Amino acid sequence: MADVTPLGNGRYLVADGEKQSLAYAAGPADARWVFLNGRVYVINTNRGDTPRKGQDDELALASPMPAKVAAVKVSVGQQVSRGDVLIMLEAMKMELPIRAPRDGRVKSIACQVGELVQPGTPLVELEHEPGGEKREA
Amino acid sequence: MFRRILIANRGEIAVRVIRACRELGIESIAVYSDADAGALHTSLADRAVRIGPAAAAESYLSSDAILAAAREMGAEAVHPGYGFLSEHHVFAAACADAGIVFIGPPANVIERMGSKISARQLAGQAGVPVVPGDTPADQSDEAIAAAAQRVGLPVIIKPSEGGGGIGMKTVRDASELAASIAQARREAVASFGDGTLYVERLVERPRHVEFQIIADAHGHVVHVFERECSIQRRHQKVVEETPSTAVTPALRQRMGAAAVAVAKAAGYQNAGTVEFLLEGTGDAARFYFLEMNTRLQVEHPVTEQVASVDLVRAQIQVASGEPLPWTQDDLAQRGHAIEVRIYAEDPARDHLPQAGRLLLYRQPSMPGIRVDSGVTEGGEIPVHYDPMIAKLIAHGDTREAARHRALAALRDYPILGIRTNVPFLIELLEHPRFISGDLDTGFLDTEGAALRARLSDDPPPDALAVAAIDSAPVGRATDQPDPWATLRGWRG
Repeated sequence: MADVTPLGNGRYLVADGEKQSLAYAAGPADARWVFLNGRVYVINTNRGDTPRKGQDDELALASPMPAKVAAVKVSVGQQVSRGDVLIMLEAMKMELPIRAPRDGRVKSIACQVGELVQPGTPLVELEHEPGGEKREA
Repeated sequence: MFRRILIANRGEIAVRVIRACRELGIESIAVYSDADAGALHTSLADRAVRIGPAAAAESYLSSDAILAAAREMGAEAVHPGYGFLSEHHVFAAACADAGIVFIGPPANVIERMGSKISARQLAGQAGVPVVPGDTPADQSDEAIAAAAQRVGLPVIIKPSEGGGGIGMKTVRDASELAASIAQARREAVASFGDGTLYVERLVERPRHVEFQIIADAHGHVVHVFERECSIQRRHQKVVEETPSTAVTPALRQRMGAAAVAVAKAAGYQNAGTVEFLLEGTGDAARFYFLEMNTRLQVEHPVTEQVASVDLVRAQIQVASGEPLPWTQDDLAQRGHAIEVRIYAEDPARDHLPQAGRLLLYRQPSMPGIRVDSGVTEGGEIPVHYDPMIAKLIAHGDTREAARHRALAALRDYPILGIRTNVPFLIELLEHPRFISGDLDTGFLDTEGAALRARLSDDPPPDALAVAAIDSAPVGRATDQPDPWATLRGWRG
């Protein structure tokens, strides 16, 4: 059982009857950031669970963070294997390879060398080979 | 003494230099890119000049833009901080040509020590041991691969220019050579504009122990003791401390003398750091000259806390022609200091750099704690620059006291809106090997996965309760203590 009392300005007092500690919170309801005892949690207070992705034939690969496209290593229609580097991104002085998570064929490429991309923006779309003989669960 | 100094940098180090200027009664001029128009350093300086767009190459790395700003503002000196132009000898020379003092060593010394080849030659001539290595005159990929085989695997391939671990690749197997050379070359060209590569034998399980030195224009050189920086991830330092748990008084004397010998042989002026690899511990340990950093280091505060000195102030004094404020005999170590670097990164996702807005940012303030940072609550962490946003330095009578202070401060350092390595640092400082001081530069390679595994993302009930009440309209509308907003017995 925990009592939570807002202290203002993002600060909260959390008391469980034996011990109390300070917590901090900020952000929108669907991504509420909470700091408690040196740990940070991002909590969606709108829904109980994150929906799981279905087993799609197509798979769009996105940048994990804002970055610059340093190189496009594949072309549309190309057959790729799991682990192949598809796109090389560059951010904060580091090279970030976007690799194929499974075997497949490049369906489309949605970025250009030199372009600044945002997190979540699809960069390249993979599809299973026609016939789907490589399909896995 | 100077009346006006331009600070050719951003982030926490620009803030640090602005504060030193203010303490000395010197006017500070900040420079900023479009991405930093609202940054802390931009607002903190006495004046601020826009130098270009967000891309570093067109702003903080542009000698022309920075020199134009210095001339326009009538700055008598430029402090380069670390990174960016701090080790560009061409920039230092251009400052001198423009009649502006570069707060650092002379351009020819930067050039000589900036090349790992000539720095190692110089160290060898000064009687200081070096790790076997080679920079082939033929810089083709094939010749680099041949040099790696000559030096003997495992090797490190690194850019001859630059530092900070950028472009450095460890190769243990000949089959990895081609790919590593190509990648090191690309990163070297992208970061330093020079693809010259250097091959060095990898010393297994070494410690990284460096010595702070500082020299004036009157022939005085002192060292301000060692810093142990073995906790590194991909050659980026994460935790630094002084004294080193491996260094005994006799070893300290030998290494300090070697560092001073290198500085004297180089004709060094201003602050610099002589980096060594240390094999073993105590009086019998062997050390090898690694390289010299011809600038202020990120981790300079641990030295400042333990030696009770102000290195930035001393840099400015020495650059203005004043003698060093202390002799070697004046300097002593008191207590222990540990610095942890706060990175905007997600430890749970392979330490991926993070960018975004700081929704909430509150620095801890408590005895023995110093925080050097370049960010504020509500500020933006841009994607364009280094992900280090702050440094937390804990000082105590003993190493354990400093460690406990660092832990207490990290547990009271909320940073929300972007992921940081704070939870990872807490686990690291609690690791038995860190507690016992059993360190080597491979520490995070061997222990990192276990540390990350302890970072559960599952929020405990108390965190869920806080999240729930923070979204309750009454709590947010007033943002004030309100007995009606208290959530009793909330369960996740």
